[in-house]
Amino acid sequence: MMRVTLTMKPRSNPFLPIEAEQIIPENFIGSRQVMVYEGNKEHSLLNICVIRRDGNVNTPENVSLILRGDWSRVKRVGEYMSSGTIVVEGDIGMHCGNFMRAGKIEIRGNADAWLGREMRGGVIVCHGDAGDYCGSGYRGEKRGMRGGSIEVMGNVGEFAAEYLTGGSVAVHGNAGCFAGVEMRGGYLTIDGDAILPAANMVAGECVVKGRVLEMVPTFERVGEENGMIVYHGDIANRGKGRLIVRSTSRTE
Amino acid sequence: MTEIPEAFSFSHTKQPSGGVHDGVVTDVLCPFCGCLCDDIKVTVTAGTITGVENACTLGAQKFLADTGRLPKPIRRDEDGWHEISYDEAIEYCVEILKNANRPLLYGWSSSLTEAQAIGVHIAELIGGVIDSTSTVCHGPSILAIQEVGHPGCTLGQVKNRADVIVYWGANPTDAHPRHMSRYSTYVDAYFMHNSFRDRKIIVVDVRRTATADIADEFLQITPGGDYALASALRAIVRGRDDVVPAEVSGISKVQMMQVAEMLKNAKFGAVFFGLGVAMTRGKYKNVRNAIELVDELNRFTKCTITAMRGHWNVYGSNEVFTWISGYPYGIDYSRGIAYYNPGETTSADLLARREVDAAVIVGSDVGAHFPRACCEHLASIPTVLIDPYPSATTHLSTVQIPTAVNGIDAEPGTAYRMDGIPLQTRQVLPCTTHFTDYEIFSRIYARLKEEKGA
Repeated sequence: MMRVTLTMKPRSNPFLPIEAEQIIPENFIGSRQVMVYEGNKEHSLLNICVIRRDGNVNTPENVSLILRGDWSRVKRVGEYMSSGTIVVEGDIGMHCGNFMRAGKIEIRGNADAWLGREMRGGVIVCHGDAGDYCGSGYRGEKRGMRGGSIEVMGNVGEFAAEYLTGGSVAVHGNAGCFAGVEMRGGYLTIDGDAILPAANMVAGECVVKGRVLEMVPTFERVGEENGMIVYHGDIANRGKGRLIVRSTSRTE
Repeated sequence: MTEIPEAFSFSHTKQPSGGVHDGVVTDVLCPFCGCLCDDIKVTVTAGTITGVENACTLGAQKFLADTGRLPKPIRRDEDGWHEISYDEAIEYCVEILKNANRPLLYGWSSSLTEAQAIGVHIAELIGGVIDSTSTVCHGPSILAIQEVGHPGCTLGQVKNRADVIVYWGANPTDAHPRHMSRYSTYVDAYFMHNSFRDRKIIVVDVRRTATADIADEFLQITPGGDYALASALRAIVRGRDDVVPAEVSGISKVQMMQVAEMLKNAKFGAVFFGLGVAMTRGKYKNVRNAIELVDELNRFTKCTITAMRGHWNVYGSNEVFTWISGYPYGIDYSRGIAYYNPGETTSADLLARREVDAAVIVGSDVGAHFPRACCEHLASIPTVLIDPYPSATTHLSTVQIPTAVNGIDAEPGTAYRMDGIPLQTRQVLPCTTHFTDYEIFSRIYARLKEEKGA
């Protein structure tokens, strides 16, 4: 097992975004130089953080990256990750786990927008809140997350699981507007409240265990399961998805 | 590829190249809104505009109240504002842009497409972000179009064929005053016998506007209810009214059924939507739902949908940015290639997150329209405003460079109407005092190329 600790150095302009898609476990085996972009300037990772390696391995499955300090402005950590683990001890910036295929990312703070965008496999656990577009697709993309799982212990922003096509997204807090909009498949579970969930869905299953504060009017009530109301829809979109809710403000 | 001229010399007085000192200029393009009315007649007496015919109140004021222009570039230091030369102002602009880590070029909707093209080249050269006023306007409409396409047409088609017109979240009586008389409600149609009386007008809005007063059907929806209403109408149009509740977004099912029937029975329907749809809760999903309603209607009749673009050449900025970079607004060149992600690479987001370290604002008033956090950040970084008039953004800037006004005293160029039709502007007045934004950006680009060794 190799543990690589990346400790962020103080920065002269801490608001400048850093793009760091090369921070994935396989890039820390051997002596490969890892590069990042800070604004429009390319730097070595050594310019922005202190790197400490404990242990030595040959395969990325046994690499664990620990991100320490302020990583809230660092984007694209874990992009295309295919093995190993990343633990973020605080907050993480946008696009963490983009297109991730395998491995595990654990975020002990909050995650910014587009967490696990178009993820294919693997596991993301966020102990805090996640921003907008958690588990969604890129602009104009017809399929979002296609596999793997995202679990958010806190709340998520708007458009969570947009275009969800496969895999699962579990939100233990509340979801903003339009969670599960355009769902094509997969499972979305929201333990808290939601507004206009699963709008325009085609397939898949969305469960809201809290209150649905507003509901899209074009879901057809088909029955009850385990004390929850089951709808089919979105009828406006000729959809055949399942929306299961505990309570809704809708009057039939 | 846009041809970019050699650097202009700014050391001499600008030579007059068009316009009239006395006389009447016809077929002038109005420089105000996205309608780009091209039938304006302007009377000039002793180098001053003294009369405007055919324009609406807003357009006429643009010509007649053309006062208070900044005479020369100005720079602020600890003693206040001081006049500087064009060369000094441009050197300052080059200086802040050439080494910036996250420069932003924002605005562009009052510029000609020729100047917009140079802006994209500058953004690419300096690794910056270029964004237009779409970001606070119909940007969500473009996102929706990227998802589901655009069943659109020119305004000429609407004028000559449409017998059912829908204004959704738009109030053209106040915002686009000649839209209804030139393209829809009141205009004679080539393919209709009695167009004024035969047309039906449907208005959807959260309040009773002046446009709603002339509507045959007015749907006063609850704020934020656009998405639900569009979903319900889609279900009704496709014959699944059984799932629709008795009331949606404050509209009764009976009225929704009537409206759906009017739309299905139209010979040619035209939906125009404004920021009441694109900039309320749901944003691009509202627009997408409206587009999909129009798609559904096209199973029964001909129906089209068009955004009521507000800012003059904002459509042109989307066209120009797209044909050069592949993306319509919010384009980030920080890594040398174009990247686009509204919400991440758009001006309000960049400024609110305090990412930007140098900014050039072009013909746009950020100080009046952006959130406070954005304005505070803009005031804390080197900011150049390129605009003919002092505005709220002047107070956030370190340098302001005045330009000739496109459509009044700037040399002719191209602007796009809200339906994507490119039109040629006319020069009404000769200009000897101000350079155009095209000339200024050509100079900035040439100097940046020298500095970068490009």
